[in-house]
Amino acid sequence: MKSKDRESSEARSSIDDVIEVYKRDIDRTLLRESLKLSVEQRFEALRELQAFAEELQRAPRTKPR
Amino acid sequence: MTNFAALLRLLTGDGVEFILVGGAAATAHGSVRLTRDLDIVYRRTPENLARLAACLAPHRPYLRGAPPGLPFQFDRDTLQRGLNFTLTTDLGWLDVLGEITGGGGFEELLPHSIRVTLYGVECWCLELTHLIEVKRAAGRPRDLDAVAELEALLEESKGSAG
Repeated sequence: MKSKDRESSEARSSIDDVIEVYKRDIDRTLLRESLKLSVEQRFEALRELQAFAEELQRAPRTKPR
Repeated sequence: MTNFAALLRLLTGDGVEFILVGGAAATAHGSVRLTRDLDIVYRRTPENLARLAACLAPHRPYLRGAPPGLPFQFDRDTLQRGLNFTLTTDLGWLDVLGEITGGGGFEELLPHSIRVTLYGVECWCLELTHLIEVKRAAGRPRDLDAVAELEALLEESKGSAG
């Protein structure tokens, strides 16, 4: 029977593995650009992203014939 | 759309003690992920509960996702009896949290917070390393890609500093 410590350590390791897989797909150029901005500029970029997302949700969807 | 500037000015202008957490804190640290709400952990002193309830009252706070017409009143007593509230307001979505999983409440988070200035106001924001720890401790599968981005941000900021 596994000890609780071992189970916890295995769960941790599994989470770390998943995070590492996600990390491979991160576009770090976006992060580097973001890090050049002030905190307020980052929130302004978020506001623009929110507006864009809402615009996309409102956009009519049609299938080409 | 959540008006982050108006919400932050409102809360700080009325002297509410809070810490930015969640997606908004991640944005402050450079995250480029979309977040739709402002998450705050508020101090649970009687004075702060009263300030928080009073400043939000004119902005029609209501439980997000609840059917309309419930007899919900967001006041000091409601805050005292409850803990975490996910709200809609005239200014957008606001999550008012007494505690966060893996992080605790205001008093526990404050030593791990930094001051940030934006929109002409200054407020507390959970520091990046602790934001990562909290999200890891919460262990929610949907947070794992957010943790990956935050860890990449930490690596990038260390790289640019050194």
